[in-house]
Amino acid sequence: MHDEFEILRQARPVKPSSEARKKALAAAMTAYDEADEKNVSATQGSDTVKRLLSKTSNGWRDIMRKWLWTGTASMAVASAAFFVVGGMYTQYMRDSGLAVVQEMASHPAGGAAFRNDGIVPIAPQPAPPARKAMESMVRAERGVAVAPAFVGNYPSPVMDRLPSSAQSRDRVREFKGSGVKSVAEHPVSTYSADVDTASYSMVRSLLNMGQLPNPDTVRVEELINYFPYDWQLPETRDEPFRPTVTVMPSPWSQGRKLMHVAIKGYDVIPETRPQANLVFLIDVSGSMNAPDKLPLLKNAFRMLVASLSPDDKVSIVTYAGHAGVVLEPTSASDTATIYAAIDGLTPSGGTAGEAGLNTAYRLASKALVEGGVNRVMLATDGDFNVGQTSDEDLKRTIERHRESGVFLSVLGFGRGNYNDQLMQTIAQHGNGTAAYIDTLAEAQKVLVDEASSTVFPIAKDVKFQVEFNPSMVSEYRLIGYETRELAREDFNNDRVDAGDIGSGSSVTAIYEITPKGSPAALISDLRYGKPQGADVPGEAQGEYAFLKIRYKLPDEDESRLIDKAVTDDDEVEYFADAPQDVRFSVAVAGFGQKLRRDPSLAQHSWEEIKAMAASSRGNDSYGYRSSFLSLVGLAQSLDRAAVAPR
Amino acid sequence: MEDTDETILVLARNGDRAAFARLVEMHYDMFFRMAYRHLGNRADAEDVAQEVCVRLGGSIRTFRGDCSLSSWLYRLVVNAACDHQRKAKRGRNLAQAVAAEHEVSGGYEGENDNDAATRLWEAVRTLPEKTRQAVVLVYSEGLSHLKAAEALECSEATVSWHIHDAKKKLRALLAEPEGATYAR
Repeated sequence: MHDEFEILRQARPVKPSSEARKKALAAAMTAYDEADEKNVSATQGSDTVKRLLSKTSNGWRDIMRKWLWTGTASMAVASAAFFVVGGMYTQYMRDSGLAVVQEMASHPAGGAAFRNDGIVPIAPQPAPPARKAMESMVRAERGVAVAPAFVGNYPSPVMDRLPSSAQSRDRVREFKGSGVKSVAEHPVSTYSADVDTASYSMVRSLLNMGQLPNPDTVRVEELINYFPYDWQLPETRDEPFRPTVTVMPSPWSQGRKLMHVAIKGYDVIPETRPQANLVFLIDVSGSMNAPDKLPLLKNAFRMLVASLSPDDKVSIVTYAGHAGVVLEPTSASDTATIYAAIDGLTPSGGTAGEAGLNTAYRLASKALVEGGVNRVMLATDGDFNVGQTSDEDLKRTIERHRESGVFLSVLGFGRGNYNDQLMQTIAQHGNGTAAYIDTLAEAQKVLVDEASSTVFPIAKDVKFQVEFNPSMVSEYRLIGYETRELAREDFNNDRVDAGDIGSGSSVTAIYEITPKGSPAALISDLRYGKPQGADVPGEAQGEYAFLKIRYKLPDEDESRLIDKAVTDDDEVEYFADAPQDVRFSVAVAGFGQKLRRDPSLAQHSWEEIKAMAASSRGNDSYGYRSSFLSLVGLAQSLDRAAVAPR
Repeated sequence: MEDTDETILVLARNGDRAAFARLVEMHYDMFFRMAYRHLGNRADAEDVAQEVCVRLGGSIRTFRGDCSLSSWLYRLVVNAACDHQRKAKRGRNLAQAVAAEHEVSGGYEGENDNDAATRLWEAVRTLPEKTRQAVVLVYSEGLSHLKAAEALECSEATVSWHIHDAKKKLRALLAEPEGATYAR
């Protein structure tokens, strides 16, 4: 039927004047900010301290909401201890209004460097700079990319040392050390494996800039696991790894011992390496426009592509204002096409992380290699916006794809904006690792030298449980792994997700234990506790502890178990008798605890750490250990600077 | 596109200024266009569009997603436009108001006075509020009756009835001066 009023649709369009438009947009921002202020006052004082991922039910979004609207430092102390992070956060937020700064890197190395405020509120700027944001958005919309000024450059030493960090918005979760536990009360210690290394690179990056990291953000286990070690390999392929345990006197506490537990996964030999289907999900938002971000990232991915075998598949998805496919699944032998796609990446616009993630998963499923390695590798500076769905949904998305065989790894780039916690969480849920890449050398280490462990998992959901023998050990303290602690009952629950171990990578955990009867014990015996040691079965005499490792093979859902009793046979009389790699990892553990201002190490000097590391450096073919030595020196000098004025 | 829209909405609702700015930027033209169709002159339309921006800034965090974002935005504009018109009417004296209501061509600063569509829109402005709202959504914004119903929070049948009513009234209105042009 003819509609005579169709003509209404053809009425000449009328355009608003640009002045009116600007005025209206500015008015909108003012109204938006005013509404926000109301929210701030409404939500104050309603926070609770959140702990440990595995025990936390609250989602990122709630935490984020509280965090964003929390304007006072006193609130910050309460909430900063855990989850000082969030996904929804953009450049614009940072430019004005209520900004929240992490303590890490926010103080120059001075007397205040070790305060534990966590969050510093920045006064809002009076005028909402709506126009500036609009302009940049319009630019982004038109797709006019601003050419990065430093394309092809790597961060130079000068860049690395720029005075920086009053504006740093790195978000790194803080946590307390796990403390000394009494074996009588807590005989069992349970935690998830952690092969992430991001903390080390972040610490290094900060120290190189002349700042000590916030003590509460240093993850000692990641520092230790950053270095390659030659732990004993399993004898047969059937078990992916075997534990090596060393008990030795503690170098920093009289009357205590260290129990050093190390495992190394077998190395997948390149010929038997499964086919890989990799999707690079690359953040090309405006904030990536810095020499240590997109240009470094491009080089990193070029190196990774070069190390792939010809039948591997590579796809590229970018996300900024919207997600886009840059490269459909392409055979790794077609390097020209892949390089061209990488070269064409330019930063633009805001961040739509979740849309990008979905697109990446779609491509990964499209090119899915049955029995092979299917992995999305998310490269970002930390602005990963959780889109339309709730954080629970995002986790579910990641987990659902993990179950269908597509894993997720995270590569962090750049400083000032890095959302460490979110990245860790995403990687943990996706059976992947989170690495932080600050230099081309680090890219080489993560993506080429350790490519097989970054890309090829040999075991997933790896959990540790140590039961101490109360007749031998009175107290213990797990060094690091604070953020990986699991509930005791989670150990046997196959549905509880835990860390993954890649081909050839190693995991080390160190306990400081106090032998029964040692004067170094901090906790006195219970008057009414039952006498210890009486009911220990005969065969367990002389055992320090019993170690259990649960893991799943990458394509299995049933856990397997490895166990081992820790006895006198694993003990050495003097620290110097311990194997070289053990001594080096203990030096790194000392370094990490010293950075964390752990009271146990108050009497242990930087010099001693340096000496310990120097004597256990070994052949150090990649030079990682030598650079660790200079890092200790750097920390030492900064520590002096911080202490001297008092 | 819908996907991006949703993403931006969630961010804006959670306090992301940039996302909110972008959301407003993306929809401002629609605000203005609809306001113009309702009110017929640029100054009023700009005022209403700005009013919509302000209301949006104040209320975006409370948007619960009971309906689609676009429906919600349409409703904001429709309400703001009608509020504006009521206010303006109150301000004018009755005689003027009556004159304006009955003057189909002229009186308003039509930018294309001789454009048939423009003149038809002027006629639309004389229709009752609810009818006019339906016409603007269906003919200016190209919504289906169902979508328009969602924005106006009424049933689809009600929208269809309003459109039918509008056609009847417009035909009657236009029959006298220039009926031949429109009546087929």
